[in-house]
Amino acid sequence: MSPAGVCACPPTPPPARDAGDACHGSTRPAMGGAHWGPLRREWVKLLFAWRTYVIWGGLAAIPFLIALALYISDRGPGPGEGPPFLSRVLDNGLYVPVSALASLLLVLLPLVAAVLGSYMIAGEAEIGTLRAILLRPQSRGSLIVSKWIVAVLTLFVGLALVVAAGIAFGALFFGLEPLVTLSGTTVSVAEGIGLIVLTALFALAAMACMISLALLFSTMTNSSLTALIATFVVYIVVQVLVSFSFFDWLEPYVFSSYFGDYINFFRDPIAWRPIGEALLVFGLWSAGLTIVAWLLFRRKDIVS
Amino acid sequence: MRPEATEARTEEPAARPEGAERDGRAAILSTRGLTKDFGRLRAVDGLDMEVCAGDVFGFLGPNGAGKTTVIRLVLGLIHPTSGYAEVAGHRVPGELRAALRHVGGFVDDPTFYPLMSARRNLRLLGSMTGPVSEERIAEVLEIAGLSDRADSRVGGFSHGMKQRLGIAQALLHAPQLVVLDEPTSGLDPRGMKDVRELVRELGRSGVTVFLSSHLLHEVQQVCTRAAIIDRGRVIVQGPVAELRPQGLTVRVVTDDQTRAAETARSLYGPRAVAEDDGALVVQAGDDVPELVRRLVADDLDVRSVVPATEQGLEEYFLELTGRGAAGEEGESGGAPAEAAAEDGPAAEDGPAARSRSRYTPAPEWRTPAAAAPARDESRASSAPEAHGGAGGRRR
Repeated sequence: MSPAGVCACPPTPPPARDAGDACHGSTRPAMGGAHWGPLRREWVKLLFAWRTYVIWGGLAAIPFLIALALYISDRGPGPGEGPPFLSRVLDNGLYVPVSALASLLLVLLPLVAAVLGSYMIAGEAEIGTLRAILLRPQSRGSLIVSKWIVAVLTLFVGLALVVAAGIAFGALFFGLEPLVTLSGTTVSVAEGIGLIVLTALFALAAMACMISLALLFSTMTNSSLTALIATFVVYIVVQVLVSFSFFDWLEPYVFSSYFGDYINFFRDPIAWRPIGEALLVFGLWSAGLTIVAWLLFRRKDIVS
Repeated sequence: MRPEATEARTEEPAARPEGAERDGRAAILSTRGLTKDFGRLRAVDGLDMEVCAGDVFGFLGPNGAGKTTVIRLVLGLIHPTSGYAEVAGHRVPGELRAALRHVGGFVDDPTFYPLMSARRNLRLLGSMTGPVSEERIAEVLEIAGLSDRADSRVGGFSHGMKQRLGIAQALLHAPQLVVLDEPTSGLDPRGMKDVRELVRELGRSGVTVFLSSHLLHEVQQVCTRAAIIDRGRVIVQGPVAELRPQGLTVRVVTDDQTRAAETARSLYGPRAVAEDDGALVVQAGDDVPELVRRLVADDLDVRSVVPATEQGLEEYFLELTGRGAAGEEGESGGAPAEAAAEDGPAAEDGPAARSRSRYTPAPEWRTPAAAAPARDESRASSAPEAHGGAGGRRR
C-alpha cells in the first residue's frame, strides 16, 4: 500500500471509448443495435414472465368458451341481449371472434391492458431490476417508449390469438358463412375476416390508452398492484360519471366513450368518420399520457 | 490535515474539482457539495469525496448513515438537491449515460430476472451497455465462480450466488470503476472470504473499486483508502493504513485484576479502563511501557499485555460517528467530529480527556471539523498550508 497521502500508481489512462459499441471479448455483437436493442430486451423479458402466457392463454380461451357454451346450450341470447353479434353466432361461426372481441372490450381487455401497463415500471421496481436497468447507460425516455411499445405488442399478440381462436373454433362448431353487415348486406368470408382484423386493431388502439394510463401510474408507485388498482379505479369512475346526463359534456373527451365505435366497421359502407375520430382521440390520449409518464419518470428518484 | 480536503470544500458545486488529479492519479470518482433532501430529511449533506484511479476505496458508515443514498446519487438513480458527482470525467447527473459506460456495480442487493438463467441475465443486462460476447460472459461467470450454474435459473440461486452474479455483471464491460454496495451482506463466512478475495483481486488488477460497507475489518482487509460517513457527511477520509486510533488499546491480564484496574484508572481515568472476558481493556495510548512499569511497581504479576486492535477500531468508529459515549455527549453540540474536537485536550484535562483525545483522526485524515474553519480562510487565500502540517505532502 502507498504511504499516507502518496499515490504511487501510474496516471489513469483516458477512457478507451465512450460510444459503448465495441464488443467485449469478441467481435460478435449481441442483442441487436441501438434502436432495436431496447425493444428486443423488453420482449425477451416478457417472454420470461408467466404472466404473459396467462394473459395470452386467457384471451385465447374466451372465443373457445363462447363457442363451446353456445354449441352446448344450442340457444343464443335474444336480439339485443349480450354483446353485439352474440345472437348470430349459432348461424355463423364468423361471429365468434366478433362477439368475443365485443365482450372483451368492456372489461377484460382494459384489465389486461392495465396489468401490462402497470407492471412495466412498478413491476420492475418491485423486484429491484429497475435499478439494475438504470445503472446501465440507457435513457429513461427510450425505456418508457420501448416498454409501451412492447406492452402494445403483447396485447397485439393476445388479440391475434382471440381472432385466430375465434375463427378456428367458430369454424369447428358452427362453420363459416358470409357475414351479414348491420346494413343488411352480405360480405364474403374473406372480407368478413378482414373486418374482424380491423376490429381487433381498433381494439388495440383503444387499449393503448389504457396501457398509457397504467404506465403513468406505474411511474408514480413502486407497486404494480397499486398502479393497476389506480388505473381501474379511474376507468370505472369515468365510466360511472359519463353514465349521468349531467356529465354528458365530458363524453367527447373520454377515450372509453369511443370503445364501441368498432361497430362502424360492420356497416356497408364502413362509417370511417366516427372510426377516424375515435382513433384520433385514442392517439391523443395515448401520446399525452405516455409523455406525462416520461416527464414523471425522467426526474423520478429510484429508491426501490 | 490534507490540503486537498480544504480545496474540495472551498469549491462551489458548479466549479470543476481541483482535486481531479492527485499524486499522479486521476480522480475517477469525486463528489462536490453533494446534497440530497428527502422532504425535510437531509440524507446527504454537502458531501465532498474523492476516489483515485486504482483505489480500492472503502465507504464506511453505520446503517442509515447515507451510504446507499450517496451511491444512488453517484450512479444517477436519484437526483441531488444540490452539488454533483463526477465519474470518469463525466458530470452526474448531467452526463449520466456517458459516466455509466465506465461503471459497473450494484446498489443494495443485486437483482436479476428470476426465470432467466445466469447467462441470459448477463446477456440481457450486458447488452444495455453495449455488445458483449459470449466469451466475456463465460469469463466473468468463471471469475465469480458460477460457471457450473451458468444455465440455471437465477430464481433458485442462494443469496451468496446472487451476490457473486452481481459482481459478475458489474465486470461485464471491464469498467474503470466497480461500485459494490455491501457485497458481503448476508453471506456466510466462506462467502464473505470469497467476495473479499475477489475484491482484492480486482484491486490488484488495477480496477478501481468503491466498496460500501459497515464492517470496519472488511474495509481494513481489502481497501487501500476509505471514507467514514455518518448522517450524510464524510467525517474522515484517507488511507486505510491510518484507519485506527492513534493510541494503542491493550488487553491486560494480571494475577489481581481488581488492583490492576485501580492502577490503570489512576493513570488514564475511569473511562479508559474496561473489563472484558477476564481481561482489562486499557486505552493506554503510547504509555504502555509506563502502564507495565506501574503494574509491576504495584507488585502485580503481569501475565500478558496484548494489543486489542479490533476493539480500538470499533471505539474509533463509534467515536467518529457519534454513536459512542463521547459522541453521544457531543451530539447536542453539533457534528460528532466537531464534538470530539471540542471534547479534546483543550476542553478538558486529565486522564479521561487524554483517553478520548487518542481517538481524534490521524493527521493524514481529512475531517470536516478541522476543515470547516479553514474553508473561509481558503476562500480568501486558497493557501493549503493554512490547513495543517499535511500540506507538505501535496505534490
